[in-house]
Amino acid sequence: MLSAALLLVLLISWFFFLAVGIEPFAAYKIIGEEIFLTKYGWQDLLVKMTPLMFTGLAVALAAQMRQWNIGAEGQFHMGTFAMTWVALNFDGQLPGGMLIVLMFIMAMIGGGLWGSVPGYLKARFGVNEIITSLLLNYVAAAWIDHLLFGPWRDPVSNNFPITREFSPEAQLPNFGNTSIHAGLIIAFIFVAIIAWVLWKTQLGFKIRLTGDNPDAARYAGVNIRILTILVFAASGAIAGLAGFSEVAGIHYRLQQDISIGYGYTGIIVAWLARNHPLGVIFSAFFMSIIFVSAEVLQIEYGLPISMVYLYQGIILFTALGTDIFTEYRLRIKRFWPKAGDN
Amino acid sequence: MEFFIQILIAAVVMGTPLLFATLGGVISERAGVINLGMEGLMLVGALVAFVVMLNTENYFYAVAAAALASGLVSIIHGVVCLMLRASQIASGLALTFFGTGLSGLFGDKLTGETVEPLSRIPIPGLHAIPVLGPVLFNHDVLVYFSYICVGLSWWLLYKTRLGLNIRSMGEAPEVCDSLGLSVMGYRFFALIVGGMLVGIGGAYFPLALTPFWVDGITGGRGWIAVALVIFAFWDPVKALGGAYLFGLALALELRLQVLGIEMSPYFLKMLPFVLTILVLTLVTIRNNRRGIQVMPAALGKVFFRGEKH
Repeated sequence: MLSAALLLVLLISWFFFLAVGIEPFAAYKIIGEEIFLTKYGWQDLLVKMTPLMFTGLAVALAAQMRQWNIGAEGQFHMGTFAMTWVALNFDGQLPGGMLIVLMFIMAMIGGGLWGSVPGYLKARFGVNEIITSLLLNYVAAAWIDHLLFGPWRDPVSNNFPITREFSPEAQLPNFGNTSIHAGLIIAFIFVAIIAWVLWKTQLGFKIRLTGDNPDAARYAGVNIRILTILVFAASGAIAGLAGFSEVAGIHYRLQQDISIGYGYTGIIVAWLARNHPLGVIFSAFFMSIIFVSAEVLQIEYGLPISMVYLYQGIILFTALGTDIFTEYRLRIKRFWPKAGDN
Repeated sequence: MEFFIQILIAAVVMGTPLLFATLGGVISERAGVINLGMEGLMLVGALVAFVVMLNTENYFYAVAAAALASGLVSIIHGVVCLMLRASQIASGLALTFFGTGLSGLFGDKLTGETVEPLSRIPIPGLHAIPVLGPVLFNHDVLVYFSYICVGLSWWLLYKTRLGLNIRSMGEAPEVCDSLGLSVMGYRFFALIVGGMLVGIGGAYFPLALTPFWVDGITGGRGWIAVALVIFAFWDPVKALGGAYLFGLALALELRLQVLGIEMSPYFLKMLPFVLTILVLTLVTIRNNRRGIQVMPAALGKVFFRGEKH
C-alpha cells in the first residue's frame, strides 16, 4: 500500500514539477539529498513524524468503532491551550518535574473534552459527528487566536501573537544534540497502549465489535452511548498530546501555525494504516516524508507549503480508488462466451 | 430601521455563496451521493473565477469557468466513490484536501492581486418596495442568479421526470436499476451539476465578497453548507431560508461592533460555527422526536449492479 503510494507520489510529482517549470530529476535529487543524506533531514523526518503519529492514532482509534473524528486539528489546539495555561500559571510553583507532568495531563484533558463534544452529540442525539467534529476545528482555532492576540500575548514580543517562552522545566528533553525530543517516545508508547487496549482488553473488544456490528454489540450488552463518548474523548486526548509534544518539544511557547495541518493529515495517516495502530508508525513516517519534501521545495523553489494538501488529496483518492482491487480480482474473459465456457 | 435593513442586505449577500453551495449539496445528495468535498470545490471555484477574472475581466467567463472547473473536479469524486465504490465520506474528504491544496498552490502567487467586484444592479420597479426592495432586489447579478437557481432546482427535482429519477436514485437505487435506469448515470449527473453550483458559490467570494485573493478564501463556509443541506431537509426552497439565516449570523459578525457591543472579534468568528452545531443538533433532535426520516434512504450507500442489497 505504502510503496504503491510512494511510487504514485513520485509519478505525480513528475508532471507536477513539469507543470510549475522545475526540472524533475533535479528536484528529486535535491529532496533525496536534503532528507536522507543530511543529519538534519533525518532529524526533521522524525520530528515531523511525532505529531502525525499522535493524530493518526487518534483518528484510527475512533475509526476502529466506525466513527469519524475529523476534529483532531481542533483537539490538537485545545490540547496546546490547556497545557499552556498550566505552563504560564504554575511556573515555578510545583516541585521539579511535576510541571511537565501536569501539562501532559492537561493537554489530554483539553483535547479529550473537546473531542467528547461531538462524541456526546452523536451518542445522545445522533448528530452527525463528521460535521460537528470538523466545525469545532474552526472554533478552536479562533479561540487560540483570541488568546494570542489578547490576554496571553507576551508584552515584550513586539506585538507578535506569541506567549512568553516556557521555563526549562516545562520543556521536553531532546536526544543529545538533535531536535528530536521525548515526544517521539511518548508517541510510540501510546501506539503500544492503544494496540494493547484494542486487541488484549475487553474494552477494545467492545470497540471493535461495535465498529463491525453495532446490533450484535447492543445485544451483547455493550453500552454504545457511553462507549462512543469514551472513544471520542480518548481520541481527542491523543490528538491533544500531539499539541503537547509540539509545544513542549519544539516551540516552548504557544504561537500561531504550530499545527501545519497535522490534525487533518491524521485522517490520511489512519487511512493508509487501515486504522491499525502499528500501521500508523509507518504511514506517519511516510506522510512525514511528504511534509519534509514540501519544506525542501519551499526553500529551494519557493513553492507554497499548502501543496502538501494537494498531495494528501491525491494520495487519499488513490488509496480509496485502488481498494476495490484488493477486494475483487480482475479476470479478463471473452466478452461473448463460447459454448463450453461457464 | 436603517441599520436593520443594512443587516438584512448583508445577510443576503453573505448567504449567497452558502445558498449556491447548499443547492449543489441538495441536488447531489438527493441522488444519494454525499459530497463532503464542498469546501474544496468552493476553493477551486474561487481560484478559477479569480484567475479568469484577472485575465479576461469578464464576469460571465469567470463564473462559467468556476462552474466548469468544479464540475470537472467533482468527476474525480464520482469516479472514486461511484465507479470504484470507495467510501463517499473518505472520497469527499480527499476532495477537500485536493481543492485546498490546489487553491493554495496556484493562489500563492496571486495574494494581494485585486479585481473589480460585481456592481449592484437594482431591479426596476421592485427595488422601490419598502424593506423588501433594498433587501432582495438591489444586488449583483449572481444574487439574482441564485434566486433563479432555487426555482430551477425546485422545478427540476419536483416537476420533471429527470428530477423524479434523481430523487429515486437517492431512495431506492436497486429499484431504479431494475427499471432500466442508469444509477451511475443519474448519480454522476447530479454530482456534476451539484458540483458546478458549489463552484459558483466559491466564485462569489473573489467576485463579490472579498475582491482580492487570500489563502483559504472560503474560510470553512463549505462545511457550513454541508450542515445546511441537512438543516434544509434536502429541499431547495428551505435551503434559501437556511442560507440567509446563516448569512445573518455572518453579517452580525461584521456589524455587531457598530451596535456598540464590545466583543473579541475572535468570538464573533466562532459564532457561525457554534450556531451551525447548535442548529444541527436541534434539527436532529426534532427529527428523532417526530420519528421522521427526511434523509434520502440510500444516501452514502454504495450501489453496484448485480449485488444483493
